Amino acid sequence: MFQGLTFEPFALPPEAEALRSEVREFLADSLDASVLPNSDFNAGDSAEFSRALGKKGWIGITWPKIYGGLEKSFFERYVITEELLAAGAPVGCHWIADRQTGPLFLKFGTEKQRQEFLPQIIRGECFFSIGMSEPDTGSDLASIKSTAMKTEGGWVLNGSKIWTSYAHTNHYMVALVRTEPASENRHAGMSQFIVDLGNENVSVTGIKNLSGEEDFNQVFFDDVFIPDDMVVGKPGNGWEQVISELGYERSGPERFLSAFRVLVEFSREISEDADAYQLALLGRLMAHLVTLRRMSISVAGMLEQGDMPITEAALIKDLGNTYERLVPEVVRLANLKNPSSRFIDTLNQCILHAPSFTLRGGTREILKGVIARGLGLR
Amino acid sequence: MNEQQRLIKESLDRLLSDLCSKTTIDKAEKGEFPGELWHALADTGLVLAGLPEDLGGAGGDLADSLFVVREAAKFAAPVPLAEHFLAAVLWSGRGETVREGIMTFAEGDFRLSDNDQLSGTAPAVAFGRWSDTVTLIATRNNEDFLCGVPISEFRVEEANNIAGEPRDALSINLVLNKSQYLGGEPIKRKAYLIGAATRVALMAGALESILEMSVVYSTERVQFGKPIAKFQAIQQQLATMAGEVAASLRAAQSLETKFESMTELEVAIGKSRVGEAVGICTDIAHQVHGAMGYTMEHSLNQRTRRLWAWREEYGSEQEWEIAIGQFFSGNASEKLWDQVTFLN
Repeated sequence: MFQGLTFEPFALPPEAEALRSEVREFLADSLDASVLPNSDFNAGDSAEFSRALGKKGWIGITWPKIYGGLEKSFFERYVITEELLAAGAPVGCHWIADRQTGPLFLKFGTEKQRQEFLPQIIRGECFFSIGMSEPDTGSDLASIKSTAMKTEGGWVLNGSKIWTSYAHTNHYMVALVRTEPASENRHAGMSQFIVDLGNENVSVTGIKNLSGEEDFNQVFFDDVFIPDDMVVGKPGNGWEQVISELGYERSGPERFLSAFRVLVEFSREISEDADAYQLALLGRLMAHLVTLRRMSISVAGMLEQGDMPITEAALIKDLGNTYERLVPEVVRLANLKNPSSRFIDTLNQCILHAPSFTLRGGTREILKGVIARGLGLR
Repeated sequence: MNEQQRLIKESLDRLLSDLCSKTTIDKAEKGEFPGELWHALADTGLVLAGLPEDLGGAGGDLADSLFVVREAAKFAAPVPLAEHFLAAVLWSGRGETVREGIMTFAEGDFRLSDNDQLSGTAPAVAFGRWSDTVTLIATRNNEDFLCGVPISEFRVEEANNIAGEPRDALSINLVLNKSQYLGGEPIKRKAYLIGAATRVALMAGALESILEMSVVYSTERVQFGKPIAKFQAIQQQLATMAGEVAASLRAAQSLETKFESMTELEVAIGKSRVGEAVGICTDIAHQVHGAMGYTMEHSLNQRTRRLWAWREEYGSEQEWEIAIGQFFSGNASEKLWDQVTFLN
């Protein structure tokens, strides 16, 4: 009937389930028990952890063997990502490269770029940031003002990107910038560049978020020279390339598991004979979670079939983010008698992070616009 | 949707477009049994889709039965498809041939005495007065007995739910003969679970149809010089509704594909999730339709009133959410994620 409303059931294949137990064993050995787990994918980063994960072959697991990948299915990638999130592993370093930079290079990058970057990403040694938003450009991505001018052997980049998670520790950014002045076709004239964040003409300034952490930044480009071979895809094709990242960016389990640790702690606090009100709160939240997860697995199935589920991804992100915001709001009303400090800390961390859930990766308003297009309303 | 379901959907759509008009539903709500509609559904075998052929069914997969219930709910078909199916599954599950005529199921409190005296009541039996036989579960010394009794043996007090669907109070006091009951298997809870599963299917179907109606209406209704579909405020509401409908359809499909191995937990998840969607979606559908949708004349209310009725039947969200909460609570806490991933 409508585009993007159907999430046909897919069962995870046995090889994906087999991988699950391996991942759990690995996590049991490698997570630091003194750190309170947080299932928000942006809440923790450890280069050491990412390298260990890379050693297992679990970054870029779907990618071709010639670049070091294992050519496994999207179901196996799905299992790895959800296990990492559920355990609250510090996935911040490699998350973006694994989720969308690698697939971007595979689809649009040059052979040289693939050979140079994919093996490093797979080893957990090369981390990427997203370069989309700018100080005056949020949801209206086509209004970006950063520019790259053609010069001998490359491009000269000027401007600024903002809300760039882990730009202070990551190695590169894929930046979307204008390479031609804005014209009547707002989506024309943009290109994607691989920017070395260690370049001396790039400066990174941390921005404290409301929880006091400094994981995102503003990044400034001051006459940054970008060699020709660091253009991703065709100059001028940036918009189409960015859109193609969204199916990957928006459909994964990080869009509904950010508050999962709150549920773990909540379920620890109440027993089977707890009062009906408390049990019903947990029950309602779990019914949502199980359904969202099934929808997300359906999307993994679509990706595996080679489909590019843009509307489905927007829909699941909107539904999942709404749920993530709901979890702490419901749990705080449980009226627990003597909650543990672990429960309180986890809940508070979630409440402080929650506003970002419905902003990052496309605000709920933008997502609803994409869904409305799928309904034929625009 | 598999090939079999595509075929079912095609013939069902054709048949219901012809025979299940707004007028048919209006008349049914006034007490007139839509005989032509039922007989057409029966003649094509759709009322026994998914049930084994050697027991009088139409063959196929039991998932198809719930699929038929879901698709027919898009038309608000005022016939006991869900109850007929529930009764048929219970009998065929025991290797019994499915009975002739219209079957309903009485969820109630019935006892079978040592000398086979059946007594008890059921407060709201779906389409009771239009059925030929009533299937019910009676207990004797903690043993369940599946019973099939002609409707003529019951005292019937007619009543309707808020959607104008017959929900009659039935009571009985009758000595059964041995051919009318079957013991030996705990089945009461199973019947309740299947009953709840049919409500999930019904609600998911009706939800999909009110989304479609709302989208179509928003593109036709012009205000401030343009279709209201062009306003972001409307688009955002419909997008929210689309998310709820997509989740509901996915939840309903889970119960369909897992029908043979349906667990308490699976049913609970479906009834809770889809029941919650009903409140959100009916709110938005009526808001988008404006005052026109609030009239009896408009067919929107034939779906929304049913949705409000069905979400109360076989346990409201909270009843099921308590059960889900029990499953996931307590000493199982460190196993929470493991329990989630077990539910493929």
